[in-house]
Amino acid sequence: MFRKVVNVVEVLALVAAVFVVVMLLVAEPEHSTAATKGGVDIYNPETGALPVSGAEIYVARCSGCHGSDGGGSSGPRLAGKVSDDFPDIEDQIAFVSKGKGGMPGFGSTLTPAELRLVVEYTRTDLGG
Amino acid sequence: MTATAEPRAVSAPVKLLLILVAGAAVAIALGVYGNEHTPTFSRPFELFFSDTINLKVWFATVAVVLAVVQVLLALRIYGKLKWPRTAPPWLGDAHRLAGTFAFLFTLPVAFLCLWSLGFQDHNTRVLVHSLLGCFFYGAFVVKILAVRVRGLPNWLLPVVGGVVFVTLVGIWLTSSFWFFRHVGFPEI
Repeated sequence: MFRKVVNVVEVLALVAAVFVVVMLLVAEPEHSTAATKGGVDIYNPETGALPVSGAEIYVARCSGCHGSDGGGSSGPRLAGKVSDDFPDIEDQIAFVSKGKGGMPGFGSTLTPAELRLVVEYTRTDLGG
Repeated sequence: MTATAEPRAVSAPVKLLLILVAGAAVAIALGVYGNEHTPTFSRPFELFFSDTINLKVWFATVAVVLAVVQVLLALRIYGKLKWPRTAPPWLGDAHRLAGTFAFLFTLPVAFLCLWSLGFQDHNTRVLVHSLLGCFFYGAFVVKILAVRVRGLPNWLLPVVGGVVFVTLVGIWLTSSFWFFRHVGFPEI
């Protein structure tokens, strides 16, 4: 009886693994000219739309680590703090572009305009 | 006199080579996907956790705990542990079950890593984590095939099992353990 349970669980694990692979391939963001900006994909899996504002870029790219409200998660808190850390916005843009430590650089995945949009968002709407 | 064509048995080295090639193919495929895929940096699901990162941290930790259980059971099966004195008949099945559940717990984490982050290399920890993540599933495939395919060297299974375990621990050290040290213990 126990062996049958183990066999069933193993089959389910195999099905789950196949499901994960299929999801990775099926849900891949489309590489079309409409889904790129400056040659870079900016894809919102919730809506399938391109972010057009700093808020949308923030949700798509930053909130996973810094929290949807900028309160921090695996990444540090930004709200009420980031403007103190970077009094000059250009320094913050350079930091976000290059990355440091656990922070990935976004210079190769966001255009300069998008970098500025999202950085401005963290300094204003997030109360940075 | 008629010659009967008997199927030639595949030699153990050839079987071993084929298994290793299969594992390498899986590891490389994951690496290529992670590199080619455009990271979404999003949180597609949280299940019953308050945040996706919490899910990843705790699921990876549960997987490691289950892997430890599996290694202890394997040590008893191979007679390296003497307790319990009489090994119960279900020990082998329990070993399989612990490993299967450990694997199941890694799947959502792997999906979230590949989908949201892809293959990253912006610092040593992240690079090592990405490499080990790809290598783990390749080694796992080798282990599963080593269990199923007959006629392989006896040393193969414990060696591959050990490699899978060490790789999983390495993945955990470069992710969940790092998170515990630098961020804290996340809530469920």
